[in-house]
Amino acid sequence: MINYIIRRLLLMLPTLAGITVLVFSVMALAPGGIGANLMTSGGDMRPEERKAMVEYLNRRYGLDQPMTTQYLRWLNNIMPIGFATGPDGARGEFGFKTPDLGSSFVKNRPVLDLVAEALPITLLLNALTVPLVFVGSILMGVYTARFRGGALDVSIGTVNLALWSVPTIWMGVVLIGFLASEEYLKWFPTSGLSSLRSDSWNFLPTFGTPSEPGYQRGYLLDMLWHLVLPVICLTYSGFAFLTKLTRAAVLENLLSDYARTARAKGASERAVLWRHVFRNSLLPLITVTASILPGLLVGSVIVESIFSIDGMGRLAVEAVQMRDREVVLSITLITGMLTLFSYLLVDICYALADPRVSYE
Amino acid sequence: MSEMPTPAVSAHGEHETFSARVLRQTAARWGARIGFAWIGLVALAAVFAPFLANSHPLALKTPDGWSSPLLENLTWMDVSLLAAFIAVFVVWLLRRRLNGARRLAVLAVAVLASAVPAYLLVNPPQAVVFEKYRQGLVSGAVEQAVFVPVPYSPTDRSRDKPLSLSPPDSEHLMGTDEDGADVLSRMIHACRIALGIGFVATGIALVIGILFGGIMGFFTGWVEILMMRFLEIFESIPQLFLLLTVVAFFGRNIYLIMAVIGLTSWPGYARYLRAEFLKLRQQDFVQAAQACGLPIWSVLFRHMLPNGVAPLLVAASFGIASAILAEATLSFLGLGVVDAPSWGGMLNQAVGPGGTFAVWLATYPGLAIFLTVFAYNLIGEALRDAIDPHLQRAPG
Repeated sequence: MINYIIRRLLLMLPTLAGITVLVFSVMALAPGGIGANLMTSGGDMRPEERKAMVEYLNRRYGLDQPMTTQYLRWLNNIMPIGFATGPDGARGEFGFKTPDLGSSFVKNRPVLDLVAEALPITLLLNALTVPLVFVGSILMGVYTARFRGGALDVSIGTVNLALWSVPTIWMGVVLIGFLASEEYLKWFPTSGLSSLRSDSWNFLPTFGTPSEPGYQRGYLLDMLWHLVLPVICLTYSGFAFLTKLTRAAVLENLLSDYARTARAKGASERAVLWRHVFRNSLLPLITVTASILPGLLVGSVIVESIFSIDGMGRLAVEAVQMRDREVVLSITLITGMLTLFSYLLVDICYALADPRVSYE
Repeated sequence: MSEMPTPAVSAHGEHETFSARVLRQTAARWGARIGFAWIGLVALAAVFAPFLANSHPLALKTPDGWSSPLLENLTWMDVSLLAAFIAVFVVWLLRRRLNGARRLAVLAVAVLASAVPAYLLVNPPQAVVFEKYRQGLVSGAVEQAVFVPVPYSPTDRSRDKPLSLSPPDSEHLMGTDEDGADVLSRMIHACRIALGIGFVATGIALVIGILFGGIMGFFTGWVEILMMRFLEIFESIPQLFLLLTVVAFFGRNIYLIMAVIGLTSWPGYARYLRAEFLKLRQQDFVQAAQACGLPIWSVLFRHMLPNGVAPLLVAASFGIASAILAEATLSFLGLGVVDAPSWGGMLNQAVGPGGTFAVWLATYPGLAIFLTVFAYNLIGEALRDAIDPHLQRAPG
């Protein structure tokens, strides 16, 4: 098992290199090159000034170097071992060094800071989505399989198929339009993750302090209130799909030989369900998770755009539009790593859940 | 020992092929019927769009005589689609006399023979003034005009009567959008982009996936290892992110978008075909074909492929749905094709910056995307049940 994990981790490296090379080639082969957005800003400048600006940008960001050199330079910067950068960009000596993600062209801040601000928000959205989707769909799938043909089963079954096909963009627009707009119900806020000045509020709700009498929502409840609509948008499709899958798996296992043996031995239906059938039904779920997890990162791009939340999705869209080389490459690297790590995690979970599976 | 199953006999008394049986069983399910009905409707709307929604009248009577502005303003795409529709209809009429490969050949020849001359010869006028017919009717320059059912083109911004974001009324049955263009007309013309992207992107992904999956499933050793790494690279690329990058760096080109969607979807098909080929490799007929001295491409794609293509078709149906969704998402984010109408782009205009909400712009385009995706999902599910009810899990 340890061998397998080490082998997978090592195999991740060429895959990550391949992804970053691909994205870098798209940027490099574009008309205008990487620095096109930088060079066009500045408006009305005399030719000498423009030439000086172009030379400054070229020297600072290395935009006039050949593409392979730019990519290798970036690769050198992000590795923990490589050539250290001496003063004025000269090449230092080979050895251990801190990885450096570079700094954004447009925002003039280190990429690490930008990512450190955006990643927790996206992780918060996904950390709320994933448990909700899994716990909800497992419970619903097991319940509808157990009481097959019942009222809940029939209604949920037809709703699921339709819910799975609803596009996220439509769901977001409909939710905002009907639940958060002026013309219909204004139950929820339209955008962002917290109200104005909410960081000066108390964290928990208060009911009448000497300084602020009356009910005060508090930062926590305010953030939860803002999170309701985005989380609905992220969870409904995974919920529909996984419920259907769990229900099919549980139904198949309820009719299997070992379940019949357990009933013949005198085990209660509840014990058969939760102690024997449940574990075996989880296996297709784990397999499918590997394909859903990257979709969560993508889904958050859409949801973050619709609800104006400043997460990794928004960062990526802006960086790509501004041709911000360092940020685009860093985001590619990070999302690629997260995707591959989640694949590895899913495979490990599969091996843990099913003792018959071994990766030797 | 159970008795041998009786061979399938079709309605005409001859032996029914596997594909005929699958089609029959798929079409028997209510889900697939609804799916085919809706896709048929969308396809008809896509083919006959200029005859359903156009500002140019079909027939125009001026003091100079009769003319047909609609026919004069048809583009080469309109003409080729009409020719392709006629070719499909003719092939369907002659289906008894042509087998599968000949049907495809006739279709391909007909489409090429109409598309190439159309591209070269059809030249509609570039500058178009949509209001002149309406103004002519009022002023008297035009004596009579026969319009099509929806007398507005998708790019007709009704400059004579500015009507941005107006709700549905008797003139604009589904209201107008931000620019004043009629929503119903834009929805009809957007069917083209939706179906076009679905079929072309999935077609590209299928071709690449079949090639890769076939070779990977048949050969072992370093060829397979190398190709597996290549596949993993393309599998790990987030599709939306690559689409955004390509659109931002290369501009908004519909063919580029189709190519990128195809290039990010092929790993799924390759995995399916590889799993099938790994099973088929051991079969006798494959070894017999090799022993006969047939070339490798013939063994792979003429003998093994027809046996392993079934789960691929199921995946392709879902793949078309996801390609349509990807294009809708791209248009929603404002990065779709520039002037051509798209359901996602219309959905984007529903929620205004000031918190205003245009219900008609959220309902109709959203419903169209939903029904199309739902139809393809239903067809895919019905195909899967017809081919193999045990085909629920992802391939290894």
